[in-house]
Amino acid sequence: MAEKLVPVVCPWCSVGCRFYAVSVNGYIRKIEFDYDNPTVNRGKLCPKGVASYQFINSPKRLKKPLKRVGEKGEGKFEEISWDEAYRIIAEKIKEIKETYGPEAIAFLGSEKITFEENYLVHKLSKAIGTNNLDFPGRYCQYSNSPARTKVFGSAAATNPFEDVAKAELIVIWGHNPAETAPVFFGQYIEKAVLDNGAEMVVIDPRATRGHKYASLHLKPYPGTDLAIALAMLNVVIGEELYAKEFVQERVTGFEELKESVKDYTPEWAEKVSGVPAEDIRKVARLIATKRTALLVNEGMNQHVNGFELALAIANLIAITGNIGKEGVWSGVFPGAQCGFCAAMTGIAPNKLPTGKLVTDEAARAELERLWGFKIPDWAGLDLTSMIREMGNRIRMMYIVGGNIAKSAPNSRWVREQLKKLDFLVVQDIFLTDTAMYADIVLPAAAWFEKTGTAISAERRVQRTYKAAEAPGEAKPDWLILVELAKELGLGEYFKYEHPDEILREINSVIPIFKGATPEYLAEHPEGCFFPCTEPGEGTKVLFKGAFKTSDGKAHLQPVKWREPPEMPDEEYPLWLTNFRQVGHWHTGTMSFESPSLEKRWPEEYVMINPKDAEKYGIKSGDLVKVETRRGSVLVRAEVTDHVREGVIAMPWHWQANFLTLEETHEITKMAELKAVAARVSKVEE
Amino acid sequence: MSKKIFLDYKRCIGCRACEVACEMTHGEARIRVFEFPDLFTVPFNCRHCEKAPCLNVCPTGALFRDEDGAVAFDPLKCIGCLMCAVACPFGIPKLDEENKIMDKCDLCSDRRAEGKLPACVSACPTEALLYGDVNEVLWNREGKIVANLKSSAEKGEGEKAYIVL
Repeated sequence: MAEKLVPVVCPWCSVGCRFYAVSVNGYIRKIEFDYDNPTVNRGKLCPKGVASYQFINSPKRLKKPLKRVGEKGEGKFEEISWDEAYRIIAEKIKEIKETYGPEAIAFLGSEKITFEENYLVHKLSKAIGTNNLDFPGRYCQYSNSPARTKVFGSAAATNPFEDVAKAELIVIWGHNPAETAPVFFGQYIEKAVLDNGAEMVVIDPRATRGHKYASLHLKPYPGTDLAIALAMLNVVIGEELYAKEFVQERVTGFEELKESVKDYTPEWAEKVSGVPAEDIRKVARLIATKRTALLVNEGMNQHVNGFELALAIANLIAITGNIGKEGVWSGVFPGAQCGFCAAMTGIAPNKLPTGKLVTDEAARAELERLWGFKIPDWAGLDLTSMIREMGNRIRMMYIVGGNIAKSAPNSRWVREQLKKLDFLVVQDIFLTDTAMYADIVLPAAAWFEKTGTAISAERRVQRTYKAAEAPGEAKPDWLILVELAKELGLGEYFKYEHPDEILREINSVIPIFKGATPEYLAEHPEGCFFPCTEPGEGTKVLFKGAFKTSDGKAHLQPVKWREPPEMPDEEYPLWLTNFRQVGHWHTGTMSFESPSLEKRWPEEYVMINPKDAEKYGIKSGDLVKVETRRGSVLVRAEVTDHVREGVIAMPWHWQANFLTLEETHEITKMAELKAVAARVSKVEE
Repeated sequence: MSKKIFLDYKRCIGCRACEVACEMTHGEARIRVFEFPDLFTVPFNCRHCEKAPCLNVCPTGALFRDEDGAVAFDPLKCIGCLMCAVACPFGIPKLDEENKIMDKCDLCSDRRAEGKLPACVSACPTEALLYGDVNEVLWNREGKIVANLKSSAEKGEGEKAYIVL
């Protein structure tokens, strides 16, 4: 019984915590904290991290390929061999390509699989001839990411986490890092506030766990924080608090921005959002005068007007000069450990892995030379459009590690749409809600059961290693994709024996990862910051001298107020929003299988303000029906003043998406996942 | 002086990593986080009292003080009489229903033997849990207060000099 300490990256959020899996003959027996290396978590872990290997031992793990025998959604399957599964999939792909053309096939990558595996999903979809490619991160950072790209030319986090600890002001806007990223909160935000005397401001309709450290808490109605951002721009420009030198030298479009926000006074914002005008003024002045770390996440992203809000916030960061120097922080903060792995391999309907657009002929030709096959030149469909077109333009889907039947907005509609597909393949570690609708389910190896690369929220590229054997016949996702490609007759483009070979190809295909070689990452457990063009040449702080835009300047974007697509009315008088819990992760496919987590965070509930609860005659513990125009769910009520009056909030891991709205933003295709009109009523038991 | 686990309650965010870390090590969590409505959270484990009543009343000597000063226990000597549970003012010793013996925090004696910190302290993402000698912990706290007073005085913030951080 040889005990092995295998260095791994935690499989949950995107902080990029490292620890050791203590592996005995292919089983993980326990974990050990990694205090020896200069890691981002300094050895610390949150409850999910400590319990992170429990789910891989769940008896519910998929062990053999499955073929559906019952109705779609019924969950009746029979076991088949890998050879048969590959044969069925390959035949179906050929059949659909012949009947409808390759554009009838859609692929989903995942933020749960490694960098290398996302790259292969992308390569396989292009080899089959389709650009209908996306990943569930569409509902995660796709407001902030395109907005920041428009303003700064790049969306990624500007600074390493260390700079958060050096900031003078921490603004937490629609983000709950104390629950979604406790290690980041404890090691960086708390150090800034408690040890270095930074001030903290929270903007959220709910009192999140971290808000006890805040000197100011702004509580807007969900989906109305755009009004606050516009009013802040109005104050900073009107009171001439902006960084004049910075605006002069490194920014364009200032006059247009000034013109666009001149009517958005804090008093106007107070009427729209319910936040006192004076508080908006105070926060705007703080941001303009202090070195600010501006942390935003889903609370800001998951709105149809999130793109406008993200633009306004990016403008605010630019004109206050809180970028390109030490002690500031802003950027995207993916919810999953590999959000960047999917985004940086170009998993999007209009991108190439090099980051260039599919419509860019020169870029396509360059990649065709490297890959050796023809690449389709049309922009594909995004995730919501794919769902909308199921059974119509989309006849087949290949989903790797995604659970859209629960994570996509308006789940009931999504489930109906899934039934319309001619053929659905789901490759996952559990029989997820989405897999219930699949024709073929392929058992994949989980995190810890394969070697690969992860990229954290601060752009840190790290390697994680195989610590356990996959159960039954489950295989790593990269191997499944390679073997399927061989069955499809594409084997010559997929000659990989080990993930290292895939990473070496990525080093040569994607220029900003040239230095992140398997050898360098093996020797440096702390990884490197991309862009890393040579081994050891990482970039810790972005935009020091210039932005990534065409002229090197930040392009300010004029922004206009835009109402959320659905507002409370007489019939549905409350705002419904959702949040995440520290013990669960996304749709719970993995965390629900972890006994230590499931025991402590067992069920969903709805938070109701005492004043609203009194109005509807609801007490804590009552069973209530939460309804929107899309559907209803039964949950227990928790009466608490941690949520503002007029707003109710539910954790989203269970059923919240039965209630959300599938309407999307025209550019970013972000759906409305956080602010919809709802009503509650007590249910007699 | 013996070493114990102390809490810097200001830093605790109630994430319950300590509970899960303890459960992963011992099968059952021996530390528990209490939550109050105002988001105030307190993780609470055995205090390993200097004058430990549990140790004094144990009729079989199953409870003993180890070389680091922790109140540890020998499961082979325990008869499950529950005397320690009755004597403990904090309700710490619990009955292991299956084996009919008591179970309590021993400050991770296995981990300490390997030179490691107790699991809950190792995990705590905010460093709210500290493992150390009481005097060391208090001196550190005192040192911080004095430094705060000094810097306030230097900045001429007389009225703030009384605010203890």
